[in-house]
Amino acid sequence: MANYFNTLPLREQLEQLAKCRFMDMSEFSDGVDALKGKKMVVIGCGAQGLNQGLNLRDSGLDVSYTLRAEAIEQKRQSWKNATENGFTVGTYEELIPTADVVLNLTPDKQHTAVVNAVMPLMKEGACLSYSHGFNIVEEGMQIRDDLTVIMVAPKCPGSEVRAEYVRGFGVPTLIAVHEDNDPKGEGLALAKAYAVGTGGHKAGVLMSSFIAEVKSDLMGEQTILCGMLQTGSLLCYDKMIEEGIDAGYASKLIQYGWETITEALKYGGVTNMLDRLSNPAKIKAFDLSEELKEIMRPLYNKHQDDIIDGTFSRVMMEDWANDDKNLLGWRAETAETAFEKMPAGDVEISEQEYFDNGILMVAMVKAGVELAFETMTAAGIIADSAYYESLHETPLIANTIARKKLYEMNATISDTAEYGCYLYNHACLPLLGDFMKGIKSDVIGKGLSLDDMGVDNARLIEVNTALRSHPVEAIGATLRGHMADMKKIV
Amino acid sequence: MITVSQTITLNDLTVNFDERFQLTNINWELTTGQHWMVTGANGAGKSALAAVLAGAGDIIAGAVSGLPNTVSIVSFEAQAELIAEELKKDDADILDVIAEGTTVSEVFERDCADTQLALELADVFGLGSLLDRAFRKLSTGESRKMMLVRALANKPDLLILDEPFDGLDVEMHAQLQAYLKKLSQTVPMVIVLNRLDECPDFITDIAYVAEGELGQQIKRSDEKAYAELYQLLHLKTTDLEVPAADPENPIPTLDSAQPLVNLKNATIKYGDTVIFEGLNWTIQPNEHWQLSGPNGSGKTGLLSLITGDHPQCYTNDIFVFGFKRGSGESIWQIKQFIGYVSTALQWEYRVSVSIRNVVISGFYDSIGLYTKCTDRQRQIADEWLALLGMSERADQPFNKLSYGDQRLLLIARAMVKHPPLLILDEPCLGLDDMNRQLVLALIERICAGTETSVLYVNHHPEDKIKGIEKYLAL
Repeated sequence: MANYFNTLPLREQLEQLAKCRFMDMSEFSDGVDALKGKKMVVIGCGAQGLNQGLNLRDSGLDVSYTLRAEAIEQKRQSWKNATENGFTVGTYEELIPTADVVLNLTPDKQHTAVVNAVMPLMKEGACLSYSHGFNIVEEGMQIRDDLTVIMVAPKCPGSEVRAEYVRGFGVPTLIAVHEDNDPKGEGLALAKAYAVGTGGHKAGVLMSSFIAEVKSDLMGEQTILCGMLQTGSLLCYDKMIEEGIDAGYASKLIQYGWETITEALKYGGVTNMLDRLSNPAKIKAFDLSEELKEIMRPLYNKHQDDIIDGTFSRVMMEDWANDDKNLLGWRAETAETAFEKMPAGDVEISEQEYFDNGILMVAMVKAGVELAFETMTAAGIIADSAYYESLHETPLIANTIARKKLYEMNATISDTAEYGCYLYNHACLPLLGDFMKGIKSDVIGKGLSLDDMGVDNARLIEVNTALRSHPVEAIGATLRGHMADMKKIV
Repeated sequence: MITVSQTITLNDLTVNFDERFQLTNINWELTTGQHWMVTGANGAGKSALAAVLAGAGDIIAGAVSGLPNTVSIVSFEAQAELIAEELKKDDADILDVIAEGTTVSEVFERDCADTQLALELADVFGLGSLLDRAFRKLSTGESRKMMLVRALANKPDLLILDEPFDGLDVEMHAQLQAYLKKLSQTVPMVIVLNRLDECPDFITDIAYVAEGELGQQIKRSDEKAYAELYQLLHLKTTDLEVPAADPENPIPTLDSAQPLVNLKNATIKYGDTVIFEGLNWTIQPNEHWQLSGPNGSGKTGLLSLITGDHPQCYTNDIFVFGFKRGSGESIWQIKQFIGYVSTALQWEYRVSVSIRNVVISGFYDSIGLYTKCTDRQRQIADEWLALLGMSERADQPFNKLSYGDQRLLLIARAMVKHPPLLILDEPCLGLDDMNRQLVLALIERICAGTETSVLYVNHHPEDKIKGIEKYLAL
């Protein structure tokens, strides 16, 4: 199989990358009609599979699960998940031939095997749905001409997908139609109905393309989302220890700090995150982030280039073929880091203190978000996509670190994200070596100790203007506005 | 100067009033330095309780001890009694002259220990020019004042005032308040009042009477308890009615010949553990049910089969509100017919949302509000807040409310659309006595004012709801 993206002419590559549109609520007035009475068969019953299925069934749709024969025979967790919730479970041979829509919710790594197994069993004219386009775009999977191929990707963990639905809401969702596989022209109608069935339409739906989704998703997850947070955690922890900060305090400041500072990011963008700092600290964080951006820009460019030209997926798939030797080795290495092994201390840290004593962390988040956004948009990805795949998702990943440090983050994200995260981490650690030599506890661990909190007016205005005029802030304000309209009318 | 150095004690007291009313099991202690306010809904027995201190009623059981020598009472009953006596005298008059009747000053001379004080007080209360008038000819307000002067000038060791401010104009009201405040330094008082906001500053303790029993006794200084009592009195006494449903977005009409709920051979099991099995249950329109059973017997599970929140509702034979479950209906089509309140819902209701929007969210069966509501729905929500006595807090965040207030709001949320079925899963769980009373008062108002079938889960026999006649035990 050949990389699908690389087979397209540049004109079409650019057109596909630029696809992303925030859909209007009125576009979902048909509800789930397009799927009503159709047989939906979900492959895989992990967190996404189970929770999406629960939502779809509660929306009046006919959902059942198909698992590999071994999973059923051995009554594995996926089998228990499905049967205990009262779903029909059967083998591929039993259920796939009856399906009008097959929902492939297995991990990326299994897609080729799964799709090769189910495709011959699918009935003429059925629909195959993905939640991630890697298999189509990077692996170049060829789908039978009579089948419709769509993507519906809720931009939250499976548990959230369910919890928000039960509340009467939903999670932001990305949909796409693989234009090469839309023989009956019904792909969009099916994808919209699916998004309604999971409740996503209430929280906002982005109409994208398989290509834009894959290229932006890969870039975001391996740089700012996971890579930057992992690298930042390790560097900040080691620096605090070197500076004589209590290890328990250092561990806690990082573990919960990412969550706290990115909560401010979620509400009001990079500007609001920096506005949480005192004026001198804000200027300090700004200067640090400018320095970081200059040092790291080539790395972000390299990641984006490798993603666009397929180098990244090729190298990762070589590791898949090599029994995940790299991935598993790096995973073990992460578990042995000093930060990972030091439990958070039993100390009280106030919400504001996470900002005041974590100036460098704020600078790292700012630098990572802006770089990822700038790099993605420079590569032809539209600002809306770039926003969602950088700034919007950072708090979600930060939450996983708060739960159980880097272990939890790497366990929650996909293998693809994890692999990219390690690549980034290994390149970024040495890259920031010299920079970190100049760092002291005033920007990580203790906070500025200034007698005079005064700042130069002109400099403050300059910094504030720079913050507020970054393009990620403009698109962020617009998209958060859409979300707020839909979410709380408080 | 008179001081009561002893304690008045009512011990397991049951008192009959002409067979028509009974105070039951009263345990009450009034000690030196206290001034009590007695309150409760109309007909609750608050006047009767105060009158017991003045010797009214027939004691059936228990005892009163420590009553002082002179107890003066001002009440509509005492006033009516005085007038009745006067009329009797009038009837007995055989002379063919028009009797003017007893004058105000004659009443004072006859009934007051200190006539001089009575005349002074008459001046203070603006009765100076009316002393020679027959008291029957006085206006309501004037005769009220006379009764007060009469009581005060009697130099009582205990003064009982039953709604003393009723019938007084604003100026008089303030004057009396001021006088009582001064008097409170020397005379212990028991004041019966319908409205907490009339409670004079010197009151130290408040007793709440309900259905002939003495309920809560709270310290005036306990702000939380005071606020809750305020709300309870409001709910018990307000003229406001349960707001109507939204006429612009009515719930679809159900076929009244069909049951609301029909479960056949229902089973819930987890793995090999069976919670219950073989359960048959039919709920007809307008039936009220109480569901009981020990912890773990599956009460909540059974309810969630009806509400559609249990995944096994798809593997059971369930008919609800015209839908056979699993036939292509969505849970929102089911939930529109149900109002639901439970402790679990309160735990889950942790989104940041205003008090008003919590009520509005009942129209959409959502936790939080994600849809723009109509003006009408907003107006109905405000009517509910008025009923609950929460109008002024409409824009405050829900999560800052007390636990009990949150529960009240969730009940209003459940009822706002007037669902055919209201499910109350242990609605009093985790609430203190006062809040339990509040919740029950609200539920009773709802049951009385709507055509909703109530399904009530509870294992506290004292938390009864009137009108429930069907029982299911698990």
